[in-house]
Amino acid sequence: MATTAAPSRTVERPNIPSAAVRFPAIKDYEQVDREIAGTLRPTLGWFAALGIAILCMLIGATTWTYQIHEGLGAAGYQPPVMWGVYIITFVFWVGIGHAGTLISAILYLFRAGFRTSIYRVSEAMTVFAVMTAGLFPILHLGRPWKFFFLIPYPNWRLIWPNPKSPLVWDVFAILTYLTISSTFLYIGLIPDIAILRDREKNPVRKAILATLSLGWRNSDREWRHFTRAYLFLAAFATPLVLSVHSVVSFDFAMALTPGWHATIFPPYFVAGAIFSGIGMVFTIAIPLRKAFKLEHYITLNDLDAASKLCLFTSMVVGLAYLTEFQVAWMSGNRFEQDYFWNRVFGQWAWAAWIMLICNMVLPLSLFSQKLRRNPTWLFILSLFINLGMWFERFVIVVPSLSHEFEPWQWGSYKPTWVDYGILLGSFGWFFMWFLLFIKQLPAMAMSEIKEVIPPRMKHPDPQLEHELDVGYPHPSETGEYGTA
Amino acid sequence: MQGVLGAFHEIDSALHAIEELKKERFGDITVFTPTPRHEFEHAMSHAPSKVRIYTLIFGLAGVTFGYWIPVWISDYWPLVVGGKPVASWVPYTILGFEVMVLIGGLATVFAMFALSRVPRLTMTVGYDPRFSGGHFGVWVVTDPNRADSAMDILKKNGAEEVRRER
Amino acid sequence: MSEKTGGGVKRREFLKVVGASSAALATAACAAEDTGKLIPYLVSPDQTVPGVSTYYATTCRECAAACGLIAETRDGRAIKLEGNPDHPLNHGALCARGQAGLQGLYNPDRFRTPMVKEGDAWKAIALDDAINRLSQAVAQGRGAAGNAVFLNQHESGSFPRFLDSWLAAFGMPAHLSVDAEADAAAMEANRRTYGVSWPSLDFKAAKLIVSFGADFLDGWGASVPQQLNYAEARAQLDAAPRFVYIGPRRSLTGLNADEWIACNPGSELAIANALAGKGSIQDAATASGADAAALQRIATELSAAKPALVLSGVTGDNALDVALAVAAINQASGAVGTTILSAQPITSFDGMSRTDQVLAAVERMRAKQVGVAFVRGVNPAHSLPRAAKFAEAFANVPVRVSFSSYPDETTELCTLIIPDLHSLESWGDAEPVRGTISLQQPTMDPVFAGTMGTADVLLAVAKKDAANAAKFAATDYRTWLFSTLPGGDKAIAAALPKGIMAGSLGARTTTVAAAPTAAPKAPAIAATQGDFFLVTYPSPVLGEGRGANKPWLQELPDPVTKIAWSSWVELHPETAQRLGVDRGDIVEVKTAQGTVRAPALPYLGIHKNAIAIPLGQGHRSAAQMATFQPKNHDPSNVQWGYGRYARALGVQALDLLPLGTDGAGGLVLTSTKASISKTGDHRTLPSTEGSARQHGRGIAQAINAADLNNPERPEHEEIPGDANHAFLPGMRSPVAADAQGELGSPTSANQGILKGMYDPADSRGMTKRRWAMTIDLARCTGCSACVTACYAENNIPTVGAYWQNASIWADERPGFNIERGREMNWLRLERYFEGNLDGKFGVDFETRFVPMLCQHCGNAPCEPVCPVYATYHAPDGLNVQVYNRCVGTRYCSNNCPYKVRYFNWFGYGESDRKQYAFPEPLNWQLNPDVTVRGKGVMEKCTFCVQRVREAENRAALEHRDVRPDEFTTACAQACPSRAITFGDAADPNWSVTQVARDRRAYHVFEELNTYTAVVYLKKVNHPAAGAAAPRG
Repeated sequence: MATTAAPSRTVERPNIPSAAVRFPAIKDYEQVDREIAGTLRPTLGWFAALGIAILCMLIGATTWTYQIHEGLGAAGYQPPVMWGVYIITFVFWVGIGHAGTLISAILYLFRAGFRTSIYRVSEAMTVFAVMTAGLFPILHLGRPWKFFFLIPYPNWRLIWPNPKSPLVWDVFAILTYLTISSTFLYIGLIPDIAILRDREKNPVRKAILATLSLGWRNSDREWRHFTRAYLFLAAFATPLVLSVHSVVSFDFAMALTPGWHATIFPPYFVAGAIFSGIGMVFTIAIPLRKAFKLEHYITLNDLDAASKLCLFTSMVVGLAYLTEFQVAWMSGNRFEQDYFWNRVFGQWAWAAWIMLICNMVLPLSLFSQKLRRNPTWLFILSLFINLGMWFERFVIVVPSLSHEFEPWQWGSYKPTWVDYGILLGSFGWFFMWFLLFIKQLPAMAMSEIKEVIPPRMKHPDPQLEHELDVGYPHPSETGEYGTA
Repeated sequence: MQGVLGAFHEIDSALHAIEELKKERFGDITVFTPTPRHEFEHAMSHAPSKVRIYTLIFGLAGVTFGYWIPVWISDYWPLVVGGKPVASWVPYTILGFEVMVLIGGLATVFAMFALSRVPRLTMTVGYDPRFSGGHFGVWVVTDPNRADSAMDILKKNGAEEVRRER
Repeated sequence: MSEKTGGGVKRREFLKVVGASSAALATAACAAEDTGKLIPYLVSPDQTVPGVSTYYATTCRECAAACGLIAETRDGRAIKLEGNPDHPLNHGALCARGQAGLQGLYNPDRFRTPMVKEGDAWKAIALDDAINRLSQAVAQGRGAAGNAVFLNQHESGSFPRFLDSWLAAFGMPAHLSVDAEADAAAMEANRRTYGVSWPSLDFKAAKLIVSFGADFLDGWGASVPQQLNYAEARAQLDAAPRFVYIGPRRSLTGLNADEWIACNPGSELAIANALAGKGSIQDAATASGADAAALQRIATELSAAKPALVLSGVTGDNALDVALAVAAINQASGAVGTTILSAQPITSFDGMSRTDQVLAAVERMRAKQVGVAFVRGVNPAHSLPRAAKFAEAFANVPVRVSFSSYPDETTELCTLIIPDLHSLESWGDAEPVRGTISLQQPTMDPVFAGTMGTADVLLAVAKKDAANAAKFAATDYRTWLFSTLPGGDKAIAAALPKGIMAGSLGARTTTVAAAPTAAPKAPAIAATQGDFFLVTYPSPVLGEGRGANKPWLQELPDPVTKIAWSSWVELHPETAQRLGVDRGDIVEVKTAQGTVRAPALPYLGIHKNAIAIPLGQGHRSAAQMATFQPKNHDPSNVQWGYGRYARALGVQALDLLPLGTDGAGGLVLTSTKASISKTGDHRTLPSTEGSARQHGRGIAQAINAADLNNPERPEHEEIPGDANHAFLPGMRSPVAADAQGELGSPTSANQGILKGMYDPADSRGMTKRRWAMTIDLARCTGCSACVTACYAENNIPTVGAYWQNASIWADERPGFNIERGREMNWLRLERYFEGNLDGKFGVDFETRFVPMLCQHCGNAPCEPVCPVYATYHAPDGLNVQVYNRCVGTRYCSNNCPYKVRYFNWFGYGESDRKQYAFPEPLNWQLNPDVTVRGKGVMEKCTFCVQRVREAENRAALEHRDVRPDEFTTACAQACPSRAITFGDAADPNWSVTQVARDRRAYHVFEELNTYTAVVYLKKVNHPAAGAAAPRG
């Protein structure tokens, strides 16, 4: 955790004023507590937003109940398109669920300084996104009440799921990912909960917070194990992030279906996931910093850095798109060629072009530093990215199925109100949790921000001054990593 | 357990206090800091955390288990699907990996709790709410007769408040 | 081959033993009785073991041909109809309409009781009451001869004679024996030329087949025997006769032709004469708009072909002339006695009345000369053109009695309904071919206690009449029938198990009267007003409309257009383009007589100057529709308009026709031109067709007869994505091969070393069996009988009825689920067009039919992706689907290259749902051996696993192995082309193994290494000399 102090040394941005100091506007620890704890007071706008979210969630729930009663025919399935909006939305949310752990784990290992201010939000986002995604595989089942057949639960006749099926890999991957990322979120929260606990007057809330904080005392011993555990957890979460979306991509890549059966899928999906994740982070963090008046925490530098990551992943995704076409073209495989032609110039051109423009073209604007440092543009762009990524999954799922090997069974697909209702519900469900979260627990890691800002000193001596300014010697110097 | 607690507002004062206490052979010192500062780690110079060992052991256990489940499942009902071998190990790597991460990760967390004596049911002596805010705390466990000298050291190094606790 | 491939035969041998022993009980089984009991026999006879099927041989009455049936009954209920292998007509095969007879028996809209109309309301009454009312009515009608009209469905057998004797006894004129689908002209010509109304046709002997619109595969004459014979003929491969079809529209029969000469309706005569050398080719070409060169070529071929077989099914005003001209050609080419066997006539059609006789009767009604009218099994209110004004005329008859079982248009106009028994519930007979009597016996107690056989009703009426009581002393019709049949009870009892007996019935009393002058002659079609010739034709599945109330037939896509639950207007793509009409745009067709609006269907197989509308739909009713509740099983909830499945579906094309008869007094179906205009509306056609082209994917492969024995022929031309693919005849996944790729290849060095997963020694514990199937595309005519057989055998729900959709905010229109591709046809018939890609008129095209079903792959892609092992590979090579385990992820379907897995989108099997597919008593038909699948599970072809297990169990009980070809699947059993062979590919003694070794064998998508268990044999084309058949 402490390592986040490093970037101020390692990251050089000569062209950006005051880049050398992470949070120029933050003077001392008390200010951090004051400002961030201050965001927890519920406001009218928050209640309104929460109300809307819950309403949408209820619409979704009702629709689902109706669908369960009526049968999946109520949704717009049109064989051979046996998967539709639900699987699309599943992959969409799983993808979003990747930014959080990426930022908190991978950027942590890479010592990317800009993570400090946004990682709590994105971690929360991750957990709730995965919670949302997790609903869909159940929701799209013909017999959802039998979903537990997919889980290797002990049963008398020892009947187990089929470990060769990508869907079972999904179950393992998603559940693991949900557990690890929520643990990650909670661990990071403990010191902050302790802060809230100590600031709290109301005995009931204090008791609750005390329990949640597990009696955290900020003692050196606790911190010592804490930082190390956090490091290993990050080291574990990093490959996990990569594996989860690879596994999700196997749902498609393992099938024969033209347009699915491709080895490029895992990297392509992971890049897409991170891309969509960053997009969602923008969608959430930019309004948040405004509403919470935290512009001096989520600084333009942070947005700028995040945009660069966004731009990079966008280009990776774009490359993947083009590679798909090239592979189909050079494969000499008639099925693949027909399919990809149909994707861009046929039946599904409109969807494919929405995807290409939103995910490939628009993000190129981030080459301009002006736009990178323009929150409004980033917000608008992020909306396009979310749209584009939803349609990426649409383009992967629907056109492939509607244009398979058997020309006699070529078809089309048109969702019904049931699909849309449940799609809306998923957003309601996600934002309900998220809104509840940001008013109960700090949306920014206080104890970690404190780490980055210089501590108060009586008479700074140059040696220590230096250390404080640069944080502390790199772990490789202290040999911490060598022993890990 | 009784001892002396000093609350500092500046990090360097706290650091100097600790160094001096150590010189004076005060054994059991605990530092409270709102955020992990490595200055303290150097000052306290503890051995590196043992968490990693648990991570390693349980990670390995996890991967073994994760491989074993699907193999056993497949062999228990040897059904042929897609003309593939009943227990085809290659895809089972995925399950192996996921279970490794799951068990290894959770083990790490619980090891951390165990090692840092968390959860702690009662706020025992020697803690002050300020320590989660802006203050650094130094808690020295000592017998009453040396308590005064400890308090002197803390005061001398600019503790805002020094008090005895029992 | 068919002898060998008819695997069902041996099975039947065994079953006839059962049949024989149960003949006695069959005689006991016809008394009306409460059917509420599970085993509805008076006394459960020893032969009836619950759970074990009993088989009765009887006669099919779905069309006039009178094929032989074997009805499988379980616990006293008929559950499946199959062809009678011993029957001289169908030799064990059965068409879709015949199999759907079961849904006539169990039709939920059947009348439960007699009903009488009081004022405007219908009142259910008791049988005795009904009989009393009838005898009063008859009493009124007595005396004045000719004041009664009895319209009876045409059927061969003793009943017509009985009926006439009864009518005579009451001083009424002989009945009219009506068949709205019959080709009067052809029969008249046959009588004049060959002296029989329908000779049997031997296509095998022919060198060339030329058909002038004669659809001998879909309803023209006796389809099943003709199809059996035609398939045999085509199975001679390079020796098979070339088939040329001449007509304005390419019907199912036309699609099977090697060449199509599109001609203007009405110009057939000119062509016939030209081909006969009586007229100039040039005139014929100008008259018909056909290519003179082509006509010339065919003329030469025809003169060379000795014998040829030329048929005429023209429905124009000059039908009789064409038929006679064609007959002349046949005689010239020495067809008589070789291809046209007038010595072995099909006598089913003898004594059929003609439309003009019916029209004359209608005129008598209009003139108030008729005191009482009876209708039985016919529906003139629907099957006569509106121009006949039947309803008004009928209204002038004071007493109108219907013996119909279904609430059809005519019955709705009646005053008294005494519902008849279904043919599966009653006694009867037929003489399908001279010298053979086909017996019709009850297979079960009447479904509804309130129904009674018309013959028995008539007997009862006679008994009430002092003068006639003596003449009709027989206790019931069965007694009467037995007394008339040759040989008496003993011979009958002996014959019943086989369903046929030697001997002839007495001559029919109904004679074909000379056409009354009253009947209007049809005008020459060219003289009528309009831009297009209007062609109307009876639907191959619904006939002229009587099939429309059977969900199986509504759900069965039309073999040509692949559209279900709907009507359509066919027009040529060029025409459509000119009019700016797209598929599904609603067009208005207008003639002097009326207009209809229906969705347009651009179809390659129609003349660009013609449009075509099928008959069969458009059933109407004056009653309100609103009363209909899918879940309402209350008998009083009568569904007028021919029942819930037929009503308000599609359009009635006869509304457009002027009233006209041809020289033989038959109704002219191609009698007028029509103008067509585009309306703004659009309606997606409920079609099962995705793309009509195979995009060179080699699903339906064909080979030219010339190439059959040509070693130079490239082997891998049709295998896409795999240029240097080695073509290997036979099973690619034999028992000795591992289903895993390399080892599976018969060329592999590892052959014989690694035996693979079907080796008994293999750790995966497979048994030494591999159930497999071959489908010979050279035989398949696309008639779709196999599809209906599959529905019947496997309890497949029909999903197309308009209410079978979701409840909230869902469009309720017929075929909605079909539009959405949710049909459940485990076995579907794909119809691919080849050639003429840009839809130009005049460019000929080829059609290939492929029955597509689960291929039971050795390397099944659907299996590994299922997360719950709901589908896996059975030790005997079956790809198994476990409904209880399935959670419905539908991944298996996504991964199936053949797209043969079907999902239960709704609770089609739950009786409390509007989507319920088997409303009482349709559910009585369900096969107890097969689960009715629940909501949300995947299902697919099982290779009739229930039949596999039945045979295995039977063999086990008899301590033996399953005998080669001991049994077969439902589709193979029904197939009237004998194109399907099923069996164990592991055992060389099964015919499937030998058939699979054919030179033409291939697997669909072989390059995917799925190692399918279904082997297709390429279709064989006979292109015109010089022209090459299109490839695909």
